[in-house]
Amino acid sequence: MKTPSGKAEILVVDDELQLRRLLRFTLEDAGYDVREADAGHRALVEVAHRRPDAVILDLGLPDMSGVEVLKRLREWTVLPVLILSVLDDEGSKIAGLDAGADDYLAKPFGGGELLARLRALLRRIQSAESVDRIRFGAIEVDLVARRVTKAGQPVKLTAREYALLRMLVVHRDKVLTHRQILSELWGPKAENQTHYLRVFMMRLRQKIEADPDDPRHLQTESGIGYRLVSEPS
Amino acid sequence: MVIMAISLAGWFVPMGYHAFGHVYLLAVIFLSLRVGRWPVLFAAVMSAVAWDYVFIPPRLSFSTLDLEDDAILGTYFVSALIAGQLTARIRAQEQAERRREQRASALLRLTRALTEARSFDEAVAASLRQIDELFGARTALLLADPRTGLQPHPAGTFSLHERERAVADWVGRHGREAGRGTGELATAEALHVPLSRAGAVLGVLVVALPAGESPGTPELRELLAAFAAQIALTAEREHLRAAAERQALLAESDRLHRTLLDSVSHELKTPLAVLRAAAENLGVEDAARRGALAGEIRTATARLERLVANLLDQTRLESGAVRPQLDWCDARDLVSVARRAVGDALAGRPVKVEIPPGLPLFRADARLMEQVFTNLLLNAALHTPPGTPVTLSAGVDEARSRIFVAVADRGPGVAPEMRAHLFEKFHRGPGARAGGVGLGLSIVHGLMRAQGGGIEADSPPGGGARFTVSLPLAAPDPIPHDHE
Repeated sequence: MKTPSGKAEILVVDDELQLRRLLRFTLEDAGYDVREADAGHRALVEVAHRRPDAVILDLGLPDMSGVEVLKRLREWTVLPVLILSVLDDEGSKIAGLDAGADDYLAKPFGGGELLARLRALLRRIQSAESVDRIRFGAIEVDLVARRVTKAGQPVKLTAREYALLRMLVVHRDKVLTHRQILSELWGPKAENQTHYLRVFMMRLRQKIEADPDDPRHLQTESGIGYRLVSEPS
Repeated sequence: MVIMAISLAGWFVPMGYHAFGHVYLLAVIFLSLRVGRWPVLFAAVMSAVAWDYVFIPPRLSFSTLDLEDDAILGTYFVSALIAGQLTARIRAQEQAERRREQRASALLRLTRALTEARSFDEAVAASLRQIDELFGARTALLLADPRTGLQPHPAGTFSLHERERAVADWVGRHGREAGRGTGELATAEALHVPLSRAGAVLGVLVVALPAGESPGTPELRELLAAFAAQIALTAEREHLRAAAERQALLAESDRLHRTLLDSVSHELKTPLAVLRAAAENLGVEDAARRGALAGEIRTATARLERLVANLLDQTRLESGAVRPQLDWCDARDLVSVARRAVGDALAGRPVKVEIPPGLPLFRADARLMEQVFTNLLLNAALHTPPGTPVTLSAGVDEARSRIFVAVADRGPGVAPEMRAHLFEKFHRGPGARAGGVGLGLSIVHGLMRAQGGGIEADSPPGGGARFTVSLPLAAPDPIPHDHE
């Protein structure tokens, strides 16, 4: 919900006062309105009443786990959620993403990085309705005609390669976990066949990326999944 | 039996009764070669009686007809007795000689086994096997531990139940042998011999002889005591060696702690001092100065972050909290992610990636591998002057059983004498620049080992240092067919 001032409103859920203060500082400076919640239940109430445009959610909360908050939110809303986790806690990161978080940041993180991720999430929400042609870099994907071009030249993709690219494009700037991609493309039984993904991602990069050894758009999130970065910094 | 057989046979053989006296005598002498002194004596008596009863007229009667026969019977009895006893004595001597020889060679074999053994455990196992073989026994060795008391050595073939355990403990306390065949606690199943050195009981040797065998013979006891003395000597040597090792370890961990405190406190305090000074000066009006201060803060926090991450990783590795989640990985992918993670730290060092197409996937933990390559790239950045290139290359061995990924720089390289300590924690190269505590390579080493892989360092011809990580290869399940 836009505030009367027309600014996007962000709900920051974290139990650390100092971190909330710094996030408020960073976000207000970047032109957002900020609400705060220091616990999971407060966060659920805030989201229900204020309908913020996005939530920044810490996974370690005093009253309930961030993943639990996320699950309850996802029962009724698709608003963008960016989760914060401590470094190397892969398990809760993946659990959060599987539970429907759109992106994650590991503490400690930079303000610039946070704002870039947030912008990408808000942009995707704004443009989510009926976009059938998506452009990133030199690539254009026509979701209706199922056609991919690179600098105007058609790119030949196999059915699975296209399906993978399509999934990433539809969820651009969002982290997709291995499990999410594998079960959508190969069915729930293939959830652990990560090597399918590795091979197809390798082929896709060779066809899409300017330098497959240093991909700019099809990025790997180690041990978690992949993300299509539409506007690399 | 023999005497009865001869008596029966003689009944049907038409021969003078004198001749049978000689046959009996021969039988008694032969017997004495086979059996002990008392059975021979018995045989001599029996044969005299049998001869008299069966052969000497009147047959089937104990009486004799004339004085001559009495004399013959008398002299027969005495000769059978003497001949039998003499042969039995010779035999006993010979047996004793053989036992001495056996014992000497058993001891020799034991001593050889003990000196040839490369470890104490091997020595114990070898000596217990010797006893098992020699006596057809089952054995156990309990070693005294200052904290937990007597502990059975895993090489033992005899497992002690409660009663035997109590006997062993008694022997451990009193330093005297006990158990079956001894004066103490003789109802025990096994013989318990203490391993004593200089008044201290280092352990207890427990020997369970086969049910028929008597442990009472002095030879056997002496032999076991000799074995016990040899094992005790070895155990004492092991004690001294272990004590020396503990001392060395203690000294080493002391040194490590000092190094850790010195370098970690330096590495922590420097960026903290920068942060504090920068924060206090942020109030200045000059925007350019403020920008510079922000830059200092960023650099200091990056340094702190890296240090904290390294310390946490090292602690996790040491406490066994690193549990790799092995999954299929693509070297190209890992390398590109690591390059992104290192970011500006490589400043001005061109990175060349040489990964052949068609390189197979391999099983590893993607997060840990990213950390491995990040640490290796940071290590290169730390030890090479700006502008020198860094090369990342990959390949498989001829048998396609291992995959290799190498990070090579064109810096000063690794001196051969440093290579042995390269992966030890808190080890830093001579003249290493500020900005590290010597954990990076130790973590890489630990992470590779945790994933079942390895790492090696060398200096390739042409200079620089090269770190090669390797992992085993396995073929993944085939991928479902895909169509255009």
